[in-house]
Amino acid sequence: MAAELTLQDVSLQFGGIKVLQEVSFTVEPGQIFGLVGPNGAGKTSLFNCISGHYKPTSGVVRIDGAEVQGARPATLAGHGLARTFQHPALQLHETVLENVLLGAHSRLPGGALEWAVRTPRTRRAEKELRAEALELLERNDLGWAAHLPADELSHGLHKGVELCRALLMKPKLLLLDEPAAGLPHTEVETLIATVRRLRAEDDITVVIVEHHMGLIAALTDRVVVLDHGAKLMEGSAAEAQSDPRVIEAYIGKDAADDAA
Amino acid sequence: MASASSLSTSSRSAAAPAAAAPSFRQRRWVRMAAPLVLALVLAVLPLVLPEFANETIARIGVFAVAVLGLNVVMGYTGQVSLGQIFFLGVGAYVTAYGVQNDWNIVLVFVLACLIPAVAGLIVALAAARLGGLAIAMVTVALPIVGVPLAKRLSEFTGGSQGLSARFADNPEWTGLYDDQWQLYIVLVIGGIVFLLTRYLVRGKYGRAFAIVKGNENVASSMGISPYRYKVLAFTIASLIGGVSGFLYMLVVQYTSPETMSFGHSIELLAAMVIGGAGSIVGSILGGAWYVLVPQLTNAVDASLTALLQGAVLLLVLFVLPGGLASLPRALTRGRRRSGADRGVGAPPTTPSSTAGSGTAAEGSERERQGPA
Repeated sequence: MAAELTLQDVSLQFGGIKVLQEVSFTVEPGQIFGLVGPNGAGKTSLFNCISGHYKPTSGVVRIDGAEVQGARPATLAGHGLARTFQHPALQLHETVLENVLLGAHSRLPGGALEWAVRTPRTRRAEKELRAEALELLERNDLGWAAHLPADELSHGLHKGVELCRALLMKPKLLLLDEPAAGLPHTEVETLIATVRRLRAEDDITVVIVEHHMGLIAALTDRVVVLDHGAKLMEGSAAEAQSDPRVIEAYIGKDAADDAA
Repeated sequence: MASASSLSTSSRSAAAPAAAAPSFRQRRWVRMAAPLVLALVLAVLPLVLPEFANETIARIGVFAVAVLGLNVVMGYTGQVSLGQIFFLGVGAYVTAYGVQNDWNIVLVFVLACLIPAVAGLIVALAAARLGGLAIAMVTVALPIVGVPLAKRLSEFTGGSQGLSARFADNPEWTGLYDDQWQLYIVLVIGGIVFLLTRYLVRGKYGRAFAIVKGNENVASSMGISPYRYKVLAFTIASLIGGVSGFLYMLVVQYTSPETMSFGHSIELLAAMVIGGAGSIVGSILGGAWYVLVPQLTNAVDASLTALLQGAVLLLVLFVLPGGLASLPRALTRGRRRSGADRGVGAPPTTPSSTAGSGTAAEGSERERQGPA
């Protein structure tokens, strides 16, 4: 059920500034795909074009063959897309469980009137998804925190909670925006283990935007390197790390020459 | 003394998992019994209280419902509405007009809900497209337009004279006085509205409203269209405003353009903030504030009302942002914080509290990041 994601000549322009220039690639179903590049390369802009927060100036974005460029994020959720944010945006005064349950929104049946009178259908669905959310937290070693307010948890744990929230949507395509940002080394290890288990247990395609090359090398099947808004190369993480063009983009031409 | 308290807090935190079970059951007991006790008290109260008290409670009920509606759109969904009184006014006028024309009272009630709801829906469809402050500006226009409109449309509204209507005189068989009968109606209708709203703001819709308030980007990536949920919240608020208008006519029995003046709308908003934004109990406290404070201060000096309102509003905003309803929680939180400070040496109870501890500073930092 994992989704296929295709980008075809995606360009994005803000006024005269070309942020993305004709970026094309395909993410096969079930792949873990990395989107890397130095700061300002346009990774997050591209990410936002996929997630619907930006509308590409030109080009086509397809999820399982359906053209989705320019669709609103809320619509894209219906196409099986879920995402996490660079800065986890949780409801800090709500419990962890309530935060995760937000991911169940589209899976819960019934209109406002039904929820106001608490029909048996809505109560049953709420109960079932609550159990599912607890199980999901349990599987990600966060079961103990389920009933704590989110603001009592660390940044790293927030990322875990946010991931659970996205997973409760039962996505076919999961976008992770800098999941390792601000995490200490040990928590990056945990994150790698989590995403690996995801791939093993769930049928899901994952796209990761990340600076952390260790994480990219450990997880991804394939990467696209962006520089100045254009695709620099595509290949495995190992190929990217040894590619002179990539090294140059990251540390500058002179430094690359010195290193050589 | 100090050592004893520190001992008790640390032993409490250490024994937390063991103590959790009985205290939870106890709480559930209370939860089951509390509504019954409350219902019983409310059923008996009108019979034993003097007429003036009954009338005052009925008026509190009216405005508690109006504040509740405001809370749905503003407290829970975070959309500033300065026009809630307009929907109360429309509800009151519809009720008065219907009663004067001898319409069936059930039909009058339905119309008093539906007409404000439809008006709210139309306003919201346009206003919710605009961001933050623009919505507030559009809602400011409602009472400002509403007052002259009510004066102009005199064949429906009685112009500046207003309309009066008496209905729901107590039936013979009840043997009740009018004030008792009216209070019962307010309690029943208001109670139902409060119960339904309480259910709505939990679960699916409550979470959706809250995330629209908290972070629209996250909302939309969860498949929640901020626009649709803002419109929904505004429409529900207008509908509840209409209900409060119906109850207003029941209790006050008179409405004029002055009913929906802008000043009242602001007072309603202040009452919501003081009672507690995003709180069911806060709505009741807000209604009580709206009715009681002018009554009390007018007894001393009429000019005191506005002054006191302003002073208390500022005080609440600075000291108790969650309003009066958050007072118990703020107290227990403060006590827990100071307890935690004293018990630093205590072993962490959670597996990853290396990361979990010391989040107070981090938490506030992230709180600032949240809306960005």
